Amino acid sequence: MDLMLRIAAQDTASAGALKELYDLTSARMFGLALRVTGNREWAEDALQEAYLNIWRIAGDYRVGLSPPMAWMGVIVRSRALDFLRRRKSERADAGVELDDYLQDTVAGDAGDPLDMADASQQATALRQCLSRLDNKQREVVSLAYLRDLSHSELAEQLKLPLGTVKTWIRRGLTQLRECLERFAT
Amino acid sequence: MNLLGHPDLVDQLAAAHALGTLRGGARRRFESLSRENPGIRSRALLWQETFAAFTEFQPAMLPNPQVWQRIENLLPPLRKPAAESTTASTTAGDILQNLRRALGLWRGLALGGGLAAVVAVVVGIRLDQQLGQRSTDLAQAQQEGAQLTAQIAAQARIEYVAVLQDDKQAGSVLVTFDPAKRALTLKRVGDYQMDASKSLELWALPPGQAPRSLGLMGQGAVARLTAAEGEVAPSPMLAITLEPKGGAPAGGGPTGPIVFKGALLKTEI
Repeated sequence: MDLMLRIAAQDTASAGALKELYDLTSARMFGLALRVTGNREWAEDALQEAYLNIWRIAGDYRVGLSPPMAWMGVIVRSRALDFLRRRKSERADAGVELDDYLQDTVAGDAGDPLDMADASQQATALRQCLSRLDNKQREVVSLAYLRDLSHSELAEQLKLPLGTVKTWIRRGLTQLRECLERFAT
Repeated sequence: MNLLGHPDLVDQLAAAHALGTLRGGARRRFESLSRENPGIRSRALLWQETFAAFTEFQPAMLPNPQVWQRIENLLPPLRKPAAESTTASTTAGDILQNLRRALGLWRGLALGGGLAAVVAVVVGIRLDQQLGQRSTDLAQAQQEGAQLTAQIAAQARIEYVAVLQDDKQAGSVLVTFDPAKRALTLKRVGDYQMDASKSLELWALPPGQAPRSLGLMGQGAVARLTAAEGEVAPSPMLAITLEPKGGAPAGGGPTGPIVFKGALLKTEI
């Protein structure tokens, strides 16, 4: 992706390149940040930091190692997790409503159909295999990863019994493993 | 239980580890096993890569337009594109200004280095003769300072200058290239520390081509390399990466992160 090279040059043309990258990718990245933080304001702060971070380290991006969306996704998730951890202590005091979006997503479907043309092979396989899980299993597995949550944290956030969470995760992972294995061969 | 005999269990643990739900002692045990065993390690990496793909397909949402405004306001001040400044005559002033800045910094360093060496030699002489070895080192340092000063005096011969900076823009490596003598000189400024198991490698970044290695920089503050004009001059940018000891494998490109980078300026003096 030569946008990364143009950003890495850090000259007057680079700001335009960053804007181009932002226009192309920010909706996807914001959706990700929102899923991780569950809060619009934090997701916007995380998005801002992530693109400033991408601005600084675009020169480290290697085409051969990962597709650009995956590389950026890792940066956005990690900034969003930073915000989530930083604000966790404040949340209780400030009474911030976490998860305006969580109820929707737990009840929700497989997500909107996206143009997966620029997605990595892993993403295509994972998405297909996830779509074969039932909704609740899929959501619990997704949130475990995206929010870096333990079984008990998941149980608490989703207001589910701990045993149920453990069972869903175990079954979800087993099905994913079997499905991805078929994909690989 | 010997995990190695149970590939299915290894895979199950590797998946839970990558998902993040394997916690506490079980996580630590799995991680120490995976450090010892390449087979387990590769399963763990494979699952990490698989789950990283979660970040690629979350439902898209439009952020508030103010987010871009904030990002734009926070970008650091920008330089002229390197390609433009070497061709357009209107930017000649910029080149000269950049160059003067670079040379001023270079001169300051040389003078500073020279002075420090002189003071140190005087101190060395006043001390006992046991310090003979040390004053030999200091004499070398003084000589180095003198060489740098001579280089400044002969600045008409310096035809290319680059100031390579780290991402904090705190001026870090000065590069001069004298094509007549094929002499490429690197001078490190500031207190960048690196592991003794690593080497710093200088790369020319010719447009539209793979980076070309120009050589390694050792632990010392100054490195002298040899290069032909054709290896250096066509590149508007130079970069230094952190590589394994001895440099990146021959024939391949850089393997480590970029530590310093900057535009290469041709002087017209």
